Amino acid sequence: MPELTYREAVRDALARALREDDRVFIMGEDIAEMGGSMAVTQGLLDEFGPGRVRNTPISEMAILGSGIGAAIQGMRPIVEIMYEDFLTISMEQLVNQAAKHRTMSGGQVSVPLTIRTQGGAGWSPGAQHAQQLEAWFVHVPGLKVVFASTPEDVRGLLWSSIYDDNPVVFFEHRTLYPIKGEVPDELEPIPLGKARVHREGTDVTVVATGRLVHESLAAAEEAEKDGISVEVVDPRTLLPLDEETIVASVKKTTRCVTAHEAVTRGGFGAELAAVIQHGAFDWLDAPIERVGAKFAPLAFAPVLEQASVPHAADVLAAIRRTVARS
Amino acid sequence: MATEVKLPRLGQGMESGTIVRWLKTEGDAVAKGEPLYELDTDKVTQEVEAESDGVLLKIVIADGEVDVGTTVGIIGAQDEDVTAILADAQGGNGGAPASAPAEQAAEAPEAPTAQEAPSEPVAEHPEVPEPEETPVRAEGERVKASPLARRIARERGVELAQVVGTGPEGRVIAEDVEKAAIRPAAAPAAGAQPEFEVVELTSTRKTIARRLTAAWEAPVFQLTVSANASELVATRERMVELLREGETKPTVSDVLTRIVASALVRHRPVNANFVEGKIHRFAAANIGLAVAAPSGLVVPVIRDADRKSVQQIAADRADVVSRARDGKLQLADLEGGTFTISNLGMYGIEQFVAVLNPPQVAILAVGSIEDRAAVIDGELSVVPTLTMTLTCDHRAIDGSEGAEFLRTVKQLVESPALAL
Repeated sequence: MPELTYREAVRDALARALREDDRVFIMGEDIAEMGGSMAVTQGLLDEFGPGRVRNTPISEMAILGSGIGAAIQGMRPIVEIMYEDFLTISMEQLVNQAAKHRTMSGGQVSVPLTIRTQGGAGWSPGAQHAQQLEAWFVHVPGLKVVFASTPEDVRGLLWSSIYDDNPVVFFEHRTLYPIKGEVPDELEPIPLGKARVHREGTDVTVVATGRLVHESLAAAEEAEKDGISVEVVDPRTLLPLDEETIVASVKKTTRCVTAHEAVTRGGFGAELAAVIQHGAFDWLDAPIERVGAKFAPLAFAPVLEQASVPHAADVLAAIRRTVARS
Repeated sequence: MATEVKLPRLGQGMESGTIVRWLKTEGDAVAKGEPLYELDTDKVTQEVEAESDGVLLKIVIADGEVDVGTTVGIIGAQDEDVTAILADAQGGNGGAPASAPAEQAAEAPEAPTAQEAPSEPVAEHPEVPEPEETPVRAEGERVKASPLARRIARERGVELAQVVGTGPEGRVIAEDVEKAAIRPAAAPAAGAQPEFEVVELTSTRKTIARRLTAAWEAPVFQLTVSANASELVATRERMVELLREGETKPTVSDVLTRIVASALVRHRPVNANFVEGKIHRFAAANIGLAVAAPSGLVVPVIRDADRKSVQQIAADRADVVSRARDGKLQLADLEGGTFTISNLGMYGIEQFVAVLNPPQVAILAVGSIEDRAAVIDGELSVVPTLTMTLTCDHRAIDGSEGAEFLRTVKQLVESPALAL
């Protein structure tokens, strides 16, 4: 089984789709010659040419709008929004158009558009280039939302997103691009709406997304030393959500921590907590703990940035609170 | 800023009061002037009103007697931290005299910003002062328990209020309930015996115990009848009016004894003893009267009651009862009874079931005369009513025989002249 970085895994999925399916093309800012600001699309221009690997003007509204038009016309476009912060500029196209056409046309039109984007702190990008906005899109009916955390997952999920008949907002995390992981020789599509249990445990379930999956796995290792057995679950798809797997896990462990890099308030952890308290009410032995970033625009100064976003220690502290004795 | 709710002095000389119940629960919003809790003083029970607006953050004392000036609750802003003020108040409640000045309100520390709390390392969380050695919470106090703990308690029949919570802030968690489910509930300390007094049985008590235990061997049934006692009462009053000097004043019971005697001689199956598999039926009615003597129940006998006047029965009764109370009864006074009347009407007992007095085959339990509503000739009226229950030994008496006897007793109670 080959080992790929998260970046290579994304590229692999894109290349395979471009190779196998004429309907697939990619477009975005600086994705062609430059290979994308995160170097994800490097080499794709050489293999597939400027007709299928297209640079765009700096207009997120135009990128989304043209992607929607192409998708409606039967293509399988994959558009890249350089930073998820910039999704805010394309909101009209994404929320009011892409998400609505299939329902408003009574199913006559579908928008099989994949919107790749990335974000995340940890390298001093400042307040406007590192936000984690996935929760915004979970609130929009008509969209699907994916947030992959490993090379294997990112490749299999991206494939499923490309071939889903609905617009999918596909979140990648900036600091995960270099991480390595084994991926199968053959690309195995990972169905949307299926969570992954990364680690089994009996005392606390941590439901984590993105970078916090890795932080949570590290916290679980630490907790294990104290005799606390932690289960780590990554929903991978935030919309639709694999409630069944998550609720079953919490019913087993009776305690739960949610963890994401986005700010805690109004974050995806709130949705998880609501789903869990309802589905596992009579199994909960402690309040659900939420781990997320402090409620403030992200600081540029590295020390402040690190203090703002959650790490393994924060997850561990939350785990300890759920099993606490007074 | 949180303010303490202190027990007010509602009147001169009031030193303490008893909190009956809180009208608000923790977390409720309260407005100044709204009733907060019910307070019972030695004079009245009244509602005590809140003296400030806010949220009832803590009920410090849920119920029970409290000295004036004691902090019984805390009102403040939503989510305000009351641990410091609580520690202060509890310290104060312990030592301060009841008349301590009321204004000691402490500044609550600034509330932490809620949204940041979850991501704080555990060490930065303020230590919650541990409510030490509070084995079980005060009655009526809300039980903090996790949903899982509640479910396990429900399934295993564990009383949550009795479970000590070891979770944060004393919350009962699943493990606590599981432990409690294994332990026997509230078992007294090993070897501990409740205090008791040893009472030796007097000979009378021994007799009572022996004879009444024997009585349980008889297969008995009971019949109950109510009778209009107006005439009975009127008859007795006329007798009292016509009383001559030196005569004993007859009671309603005396009249009833005479009536029962008349009924007995008309229904001889009831006026009988059951002895060694044979029924002894008697011509004369020797009626035993159950008397509460200091040494225990005794049943002196009024002989030939069917042939005596009420006046004579009253005299005989006064004699045996006074001797029974003085412990001067002869054995002869207690022997030869053919039937017994047990009357608890003077205690206000409406009706009851008497235990057979063997070898007699029946006993009449007489209750008090109560005014009851009754329909007479289509009119609602108030009727003094006497309820009587006959216990019969089925080995000697059938239901119909007992019923016929009781019907006669009822007729004679309602028309005493027919008996006399």
